[in-house]
Amino acid sequence: MIDFTPEAKRKFDEYLLRMRFSMQGRRSVETDEVEQNVVEHVQAALAGVPSPVGQERLSEVLTQLGPPERWLPEDERPAWRRWAHRFMTGPEDWRLAYISLAVTILMIVFLPVGGILLLLPGYLVSRAYVELLGDRGEPLGARKWLVLPPIVLLMVGLAGAALFAPAGAIGAILSEIGLRELGWDWDSRAERMRIFTGILSIAVGAYWVALSAVFALLLRPFRALFLPVTTNLRRGHAWALTVAGAIVSGLGAVLLYVF
Amino acid sequence: MSDTFYDNWTTQLRKGLLELAILNTLGAGPLYGYDIVRRLGDVDSLVINEGTVYPILSRLRNEQYVESYIEESSSGPPRKYYRLTQRGRDELRRMNTHWTSLHEAIGQLRKERGR
Repeated sequence: MIDFTPEAKRKFDEYLLRMRFSMQGRRSVETDEVEQNVVEHVQAALAGVPSPVGQERLSEVLTQLGPPERWLPEDERPAWRRWAHRFMTGPEDWRLAYISLAVTILMIVFLPVGGILLLLPGYLVSRAYVELLGDRGEPLGARKWLVLPPIVLLMVGLAGAALFAPAGAIGAILSEIGLRELGWDWDSRAERMRIFTGILSIAVGAYWVALSAVFALLLRPFRALFLPVTTNLRRGHAWALTVAGAIVSGLGAVLLYVF
Repeated sequence: MSDTFYDNWTTQLRKGLLELAILNTLGAGPLYGYDIVRRLGDVDSLVINEGTVYPILSRLRNEQYVESYIEESSSGPPRKYYRLTQRGRDELRRMNTHWTSLHEAIGQLRKERGR
């Protein structure tokens, strides 16, 4: 038996693991036998080399043996194994992209039974992928169709909730308290609707103005959370929300006090 | 013809011939894996990745063209030797005959082109 340095031992173990993985699904080949032959090959090739054998000498032998993934033709495996193997050993960035797509599809399929919970893992994988490409200076290109859906869905969901959920809450509070409690009175159903809509609009508009201030303050973290969708997000968008809030409030006031 | 086309063609040809080469190497007598690889390595440009030999040996053994046995070695741990079975010898004969006729057919085509 040959003694390896810890690094060389680790490298050899990894090589054998790759070999075992690449032989999976090939019924005509016995992995144990191939492994035994490879171990014997390495021992014979390194016989006479002073112990412990280092990574460099081992690498020379493994290079001559070649990558195990290329020892047998691809078409010997069942199609699903070929696909799985490509998925497991392909470039990391593509793997993440496909994982992201798979999680999104699962989320949609299982939506009626809590599939929405998969949105967060999908988003995390997508963001990790975007960061990875960013570090490498690579553009997203066509891969955006695989990774952007979870980011867009989460962003639209959160933005929608932040913008419109309070409107529902305010409406519910108004109904609960009762407009008469607030000092308002009306003669008809249409009159009541006008007052209700007016107060709701003022409250929602004021909330949007406050939200735009928070949004302007937290613009940078918000943009970072949803990159690359939010690449073009500027402080001007917060101002647009302020203006929208002011307009909605103003319309509410007009409904209440002019008509 | 581009280099890529040539490279692909030679790779395919090598892969296709490797089984024939391994069986012929064993035709001379039993050998252990490393020795087979070394002998094939002596044949210019036949084996690029030495590891390709081992899955083929395993398959040939599974299909009973070769059989293996363990033998003690004076220079290290016991080694796994391979030798041709009768079935393997018959198959090798057929393969060599086919290879010869293929080689002759290509030669004939080249001769006709030269006319």
